[in-house]
Amino acid sequence: MSKKQVTKKDKQLQKDQVRIGVYVCHCGLNIAGSVDCEEVAKFAATLPYVVVAKDNRYTCSDQGQELIKNDIKEHKLNRIVVASCSPRLHEPTFRRTCEEAGLNKYLFEMANIREQCSWVHLYEKKKATEKAKDLVKAAVAKVVLLDPAIESVVPIIQKALVIGGGVAGIQAALDLADTGYKVYLVEREPSIGGRMAQIDKTFPTMDCSICILAPKMSDAGRHSNIELLTNSEVQDVKGYIGNFKVKVLKKPRYVTKDCSACGDCSEVCPITVPNEFDVGLATRHGIYTPFAQAVPSTYIIDPNICLNQEGILKCDKCIKACERKAIDFDMKPEVLELEVGTIIVATGADIYDPTSLQNYGYRKYPNVITSLEFERLINAGGPSGGHLLRPSDMKIPKSVAFVQCVGSRSDRGHLYCSNICCMNTIKDALLIKEHWPETEIYVFYVDIRAFGKGFEDLYKRARKEGVIFIRGLPAEIHEDRKTRNLWLIGENTLQKELYKINVGMVILSVGIEPRIDSDVIQRLLVLSRTNDGFFMEAHPKLRPVDTPTGGVFLAGCAEGPKDIKDSVTQASAAAARAGILMAKGKVTVEAITPRVLEEACKACGLCTKVCPYNAITLNEDLKRAEVIEAACSGCGTCGAECPFSALYMRHFTDEQINAQIDALTEQDADKKIIAFCCNWCAYAGADFAGVSRMQYPSNVRIIRTMCSGRVSPKFVERAFARGAAAVLVAGCHIGDCHYINANLQTQKRVERLWKKMEKLDLNKDRLQLLWASAAEGERVASKVKEMQAIVNSITKEEIEKSKKMMEKA
Amino acid sequence: MASKKLWRKPLDSEKIKPPEAEIYIIRDRCKGCGFCIQFCPKEVLEESEEINARGVHPPKVKDAGKCALCGFCTAICPDFAIFVVEKPSEKKEEEKK
Repeated sequence: MSKKQVTKKDKQLQKDQVRIGVYVCHCGLNIAGSVDCEEVAKFAATLPYVVVAKDNRYTCSDQGQELIKNDIKEHKLNRIVVASCSPRLHEPTFRRTCEEAGLNKYLFEMANIREQCSWVHLYEKKKATEKAKDLVKAAVAKVVLLDPAIESVVPIIQKALVIGGGVAGIQAALDLADTGYKVYLVEREPSIGGRMAQIDKTFPTMDCSICILAPKMSDAGRHSNIELLTNSEVQDVKGYIGNFKVKVLKKPRYVTKDCSACGDCSEVCPITVPNEFDVGLATRHGIYTPFAQAVPSTYIIDPNICLNQEGILKCDKCIKACERKAIDFDMKPEVLELEVGTIIVATGADIYDPTSLQNYGYRKYPNVITSLEFERLINAGGPSGGHLLRPSDMKIPKSVAFVQCVGSRSDRGHLYCSNICCMNTIKDALLIKEHWPETEIYVFYVDIRAFGKGFEDLYKRARKEGVIFIRGLPAEIHEDRKTRNLWLIGENTLQKELYKINVGMVILSVGIEPRIDSDVIQRLLVLSRTNDGFFMEAHPKLRPVDTPTGGVFLAGCAEGPKDIKDSVTQASAAAARAGILMAKGKVTVEAITPRVLEEACKACGLCTKVCPYNAITLNEDLKRAEVIEAACSGCGTCGAECPFSALYMRHFTDEQINAQIDALTEQDADKKIIAFCCNWCAYAGADFAGVSRMQYPSNVRIIRTMCSGRVSPKFVERAFARGAAAVLVAGCHIGDCHYINANLQTQKRVERLWKKMEKLDLNKDRLQLLWASAAEGERVASKVKEMQAIVNSITKEEIEKSKKMMEKA
Repeated sequence: MASKKLWRKPLDSEKIKPPEAEIYIIRDRCKGCGFCIQFCPKEVLEESEEINARGVHPPKVKDAGKCALCGFCTAICPDFAIFVVEKPSEKKEEEKK
């Protein structure tokens, strides 16, 4: 840390030794078509510390890179600026070039004169050239102040934690265990197996669900690398990629491993309650096993209903019945402390409860059942022995109706498609046809989505076998009081006529929803969730099983509704991703984390409160903040919060950003918009506007930060003090922040600035806040246009006034 | 949480009706300690109004249907004044046949 504590004199000395090379890329005609690159290069040569300034056709080509490498050696260059495309595209390329020539890769900076200049000002060559000069000037101003940095290496513990023992969790655990890593598989229910164990058959192949799952379950149960922790919950997670410390609460089973699962205990137990596994359609005892194939097979005592409460042994029937003396009421809950390197979240999903859709009459009419209840009824091992019995009279119905999209694709439930219900219904309809071919079957749907491999065939088969598909969900379901049959009333939207159909049983094809307690795992692992409430992946296309938190991966329905095949596929992918990390055994962290300047830090703790990763702690003894480097993602919101400038945000320091602001406001500031854009959304959105050739006014100058949370009010004030006409702060939409929620701080700060501007009697429209995703180039472009009108309306007096006011502030 | 979600009447609820209990209280042996009332896990017993030979209120059965036949009252009674036997149920008899 001491190497960062440099005095001003040192800095000056360092500056004097700076030798910069600037390379202006034509990118064929992509840039040269609307920017005079030669002129920009000539201009660059006049800037301080610039030793070499050249323009060339394609800087990213091998020759272009060779040129840079040769110049570094020949001219002893120690800083490089490339003015070309977006750093999101080629920064890694040029950083590598620098490294190959022996220059630290953090001494490189890019000026984005393609996506954010030539492409968005196609017909304004003069203005575009001026803008390109400005951008190069800002890049040169920043590069002077850059520090060389070495990325730190963090070791990775070669053990994994899998949360959730459904089919996804089981698959992920098996794959990792087979690779050779120790795996802890935590499941909160008494047995692993999850939803798949409850289902009768699987689509589209009609395999028996438990028959294909049970072997996997027992594999997981006896694998030497897997430690099964059932009836257990993750309580606490501390640490960071490669080094998680996890606390797991292992609740007592009150039955030891000596249990042979003979069931003698269960027979004598005087307590009976509805069974969760059969969705309440069958009973279980106080001591029980959730289902025949349960893993572990050890019985369990439900402490909520057992007569023996508070340590008083009142009923000893099970103890007497157990020949192997496996029952032990003295078992206590245990908290296990595990150390793991990677975590796979496979917590699954809940089933939508249709009670609130009163027009369907679930819970009111006994013969309206859900698709999960159907699975238990049609299952040969289920409560009805595989007979589809109407709950009202225990008779097999002669006609049934399936109602699709219950709780899905509607603002009365969830807006998203639950993915599995169409095919599940088709499978269920075929099962009924198989057992009772005479049954009349109606399926009321919105659209049938048979998109997967073999799905369309199954759909066709159902039609061929006489299942009647009617487009248009019933508006209402009524019960015939005598027969307990049900009337479905609605509109057939294909034939534009009303229907009123009488059936013996209605099956509501219910959707999938996020686990009701998802927020617990979200908080423990600092994950994000989409608007739907499912956990969000790091990138929907390129990193679909990673999470924004390093070392944490997703599998199964926790990430979104999906069928068994997709869950298993994703689980294997997550296991592979986790395996890559553990095989490497170490991970490097980008050197953009903050350093605490000890003499400036007053230990006020403000930074610790805004850090989304809890990566800053207060050292009470030394009276200063401390950064846990591996937990930090480098958003910089702490740096923006610190009132004492005690956090040195490497690669995005106050000094560096101020230098950019100063460079951009040197000329004609009163006509310019200074924009601060976050790397992931707003800056990418601006790039997207360029790629799409959306034209917008050329007087905007964008400064890139990793997160909008880095934008300190000081920067905005400085821009105004330097005479900028307007300032834009832009980041990800609330809830989409790549640093969990750091953009909430952005919002707070901008709101505070607005209040301040109001107080100072300044036009607060001059400061704008924009949320724009990486795909919303249009939003960026139209915001700039909108702000142009504000810029035009501002008088010289107003600029002077804000200059004075903000300077004071 | 589970009980709220599981609302249906289990299909097998008729079959597995728990055995019915016959509770015998030898009233004049009771000295009114109240252990059986206090410790019954199903709260089957309550104090009666009656006064027995020893001048105390012996327990009486509030709801025999709730009795789980755990036998804790028998075990805990210091005066051997209470015991429970299983009522021979008709269904079970039938099953045996």
